[in-house]
Amino acid sequence: MGAFVVFRQEEPGGAFVHCGSVDAPDMELACQYARDIFSRREDAQRLWVAPQEAIREVADGDLLRPALDRTYRLGRGYRVTVEKRRRIKARIAARAEAEQGEAV
Amino acid sequence: MRAQATGGGAAMTAILTEETRTETFRRDVADGGVIETSDWMPEEYRRRLIKFIEMHANSEIMGALPEGDWIGRAPSLKRKLALSAKIQDEVGHAQMLYRLVEDLGKPRPQIFADLTSGKSKFHNVFHYPTRSWADVGIIGWLVDGAAIISQSALLRSSYGPYTRVMKRICWEEAFHLKQGEDVCLTLAGGSALQREMLQDALTRWWEPLMMFHGPPTPPEQDGDLAWRIKTKPNDALRQEFLDRYVPQIWELGLTIPDPALKKDVQTGRWRYTEPDWSRLIAVVTGSGPASAQRLGFRRLTYEEGAWLRAVTMNA
Ligand SMILES: [Fe+2]
Ligand SMILES: [Fe+2]
Repeated sequence: MGAFVVFRQEEPGGAFVHCGSVDAPDMELACQYARDIFSRREDAQRLWVAPQEAIREVADGDLLRPALDRTYRLGRGYRVTVEKRRRIKARIAARAEAEQGEAV
Repeated sequence: MRAQATGGGAAMTAILTEETRTETFRRDVADGGVIETSDWMPEEYRRRLIKFIEMHANSEIMGALPEGDWIGRAPSLKRKLALSAKIQDEVGHAQMLYRLVEDLGKPRPQIFADLTSGKSKFHNVFHYPTRSWADVGIIGWLVDGAAIISQSALLRSSYGPYTRVMKRICWEEAFHLKQGEDVCLTLAGGSALQREMLQDALTRWWEPLMMFHGPPTPPEQDGDLAWRIKTKPNDALRQEFLDRYVPQIWELGLTIPDPALKKDVQTGRWRYTEPDWSRLIAVVTGSGPASAQRLGFRRLTYEEGAWLRAVTMNA
């Protein structure tokens, strides 16, 4: 007997999400059990079944969540653009006004 | 199985079955059905998927090169970090997309042989040189901006694995756009020389940008649309691009080098000078200003990396 991990897709095209595991003597029965346990209500599109020993977990915090400021990699690291755009527009408006003043 | 039976009648049944199957598939896909790698698919669908995703992947990896030229010349540490991060993302996008192509049946050595020999294509915008730091801003803001418009439309593609990868890609692209926009805004708010540099970059990049979404192919003649590999016609994507970015560009006091560019208030559509589409074909078939150099570089790095592939892949 061995453990098999089950991933479930709920919507067509959706991601396959880990939902649990089954204990089975081989892959064929593992698929059967996965179906019995994780899709009894026609609420799964597909299942992926894999031997548990084929799964490796990577959870090294130093690599995955280093204690560095990485906001430069995120859209929200650039909120300063709002203020920059406002200043440019103000400058253009001021220049246009000054030119109009000269023309008068 | 029926195809193995003897006699013309049985062979005919097999052909009809194949046709019926294709027809059912076509209808399913047109109705919004989603296909997974293990599903049966018509050969034409598979061939088109491979070609489409392969070109997308090639563009991601070739797209790393024009910007790569500027990592060493970035004006500050923060810009250098951001640009390196963006380029790392683009190479990552290529990796994700090449895996899809491999799963569809085209091996990676073949993909690279076709790329370096010029047999397969990559996007027109990556056939041009980057002449100043402002080019990095324009690429991040407007080239990635144009790409986000086509890539967002791919979120509803008929091929499930593609849509899932595209979710990840679109999320990362949002950062590319912002870092490019920030570079442009800094230049636009800077000295006269900086503003000139930005204007010069925009002037050079406008034509490639107008060509980015491809010639205005009638939707009924676009096979990729029929199979819902992509979901919007080229011209609709270009209109979306103009709608979103032209007002923002004008707002910065920049001039777009097309006197005919104007939004038609009645139709709500942008009018513009029709690009010379024969030039687009010339560019993507290897006659762009930087095509030979870029492909030469890709060929060289592929050859130089051969020993590493031999060591890691045959381990
Ligand atoms: Fe990308
Ligand atoms: Fe990007």
